[in-house]
Amino acid sequence: MTRLARAELLKLVTTRLLLWNGLLLLALEVLVITLNITQDSTLALASPSRQREIASIAAVSALVSLILGIVSSAGEYGHGTIAHTLLVAPVRPRVAAAKLTASALAGAALALAAGAFAWGYAALLLSARSVPVHLGSGETLRVLPATVLAAAITGAIGVGFGLLVRRQTGAIVIAFVWLLVVEPLLALAGIQEYAPGHTIASVVEAGTQSADLLGFGAGLLLALGYAAAFAVAGAVALARTDVS
Amino acid sequence: MADAPPVEVRALTKRYGSTIAVDGLSFAIPRGRITGFLGPNGAGKTTTLRALLGLVLPTTGEARIEGSRYRELADPLGTVGAVLEADSFHPGRSGRNHLRVLATAAGVARPRVDEVLEEVELSSAARRRVGGYSLGMRQRLSVAGALLGRPRLLVLDEPANGLDPEGIRWLRTFLRGFAAEGGTVLISSHVLAEVAQVADEVVILHRGRLVTQEPLAALTARSSGGSVVRSPEAARLGAELARAGVEATLVEDGELRVTAPAERVGEVAAAAGIVLHELRPQGASLEEVFLELTAGEPG
Repeated sequence: MTRLARAELLKLVTTRLLLWNGLLLLALEVLVITLNITQDSTLALASPSRQREIASIAAVSALVSLILGIVSSAGEYGHGTIAHTLLVAPVRPRVAAAKLTASALAGAALALAAGAFAWGYAALLLSARSVPVHLGSGETLRVLPATVLAAAITGAIGVGFGLLVRRQTGAIVIAFVWLLVVEPLLALAGIQEYAPGHTIASVVEAGTQSADLLGFGAGLLLALGYAAAFAVAGAVALARTDVS
Repeated sequence: MADAPPVEVRALTKRYGSTIAVDGLSFAIPRGRITGFLGPNGAGKTTTLRALLGLVLPTTGEARIEGSRYRELADPLGTVGAVLEADSFHPGRSGRNHLRVLATAAGVARPRVDEVLEEVELSSAARRRVGGYSLGMRQRLSVAGALLGRPRLLVLDEPANGLDPEGIRWLRTFLRGFAAEGGTVLISSHVLAEVAQVADEVVILHRGRLVTQEPLAALTARSSGGSVVRSPEAARLGAELARAGVEATLVEDGELRVTAPAERVGEVAAAAGIVLHELRPQGASLEEVFLELTAGEPG
């Protein structure tokens, strides 16, 4: 890893941003898994697909990774620290590449931790209710690396998008409006499966998805295409920006 | 390039829409000296320095450090240390971690972080978050960052803004020490007095254009030359001075402001047998000369 990427990772771990996002994700997982396993009947919980569905709450880490990516790029403009970054590394495409690498890695690590916790906690609660645990089956376990992959991609998308918008709050709001309002509207035209949020969902579902998502391979390719497009656009924007 | 000046600005122009921030500016600064980069607010100092540091992209022209554009420098932090105006930090990161991030990115060994913290007398606050720092502490942190790579050149943009007298004195002492060890300093300010005590040379800018570049001593010489004289025979002295071709103005009863040096006034008074009660040199202050230079339209 380059020293610039290491510096970007150091930035992420030397503020409380990663800690708070991690704790938030953990709390969400505890809440959702606890509610689902304590409320469902043992018969329903015994289904492998239901268990996979419950543990898949870890996929929220892809959304958290998107936010981390945005903060690591747009946040630099907000705090004015972009000047320090560019003084140390004046070749701007290298800065963009380092941010992409660091955010993808941080997102993947976060997803791995979130997945491990979700699987472990769900297995614990299922055992406590004397429900046979199927979380170790191949089809269910496949969701774990898929989530890690999805979080790495959303981390990169977040960096590119943040470099384009340059306003942290604005970029996060736009991302949420897109995911919660625009993409559902695209369903009316029947093209929602090609939208960025849905392609990420098709990666997370790892081949177990319903008909309104692309298959894993197609979804992954398109998601990587979105990440590349945002990365290039963000790097071009960074190269053309006056830091004044 | 060893022969290239530490800083050279060539025909630099920067436009923001219809506004011209810097207009065909050219100057170079000498090695091993402290150069004051002066001009009123909005004169284009910050834009020039940011163009020099690769943060602002010139519309035309260029700015070079030791013969290279900033982005071409093999070791930016080891070549130039920058202290930016109203420098910003992440409020949630400690001062030490801020420097660790810079050191990691620049490939500077970690012990150097503690060295520069010691150098700027910030070691005791190093593990506190920057959000709790005073303005003076932030400025010291900024200087620490500039020193990380042991640069030969320091570029400081309005470093005294908002500093208390103790902070300003610390900064002056620090800059003198840096220059004494052979370092070159380019320091901007909109207040001449701030840099007059440390600068060897001044570059004066107004409305994006160069007004003058000269040694501070030459600027000081411009500010001297007049005198004030009090005499019980002020009216007669005024007439004698006028006869000698010297302009004198009666400002109050018995006091004249004269455009000639005190020595000349004394000679005229002695020749005319006029008693003087007071005779002292007085000219425009450095600040007045600066304001005069930057008041009109440049060239």
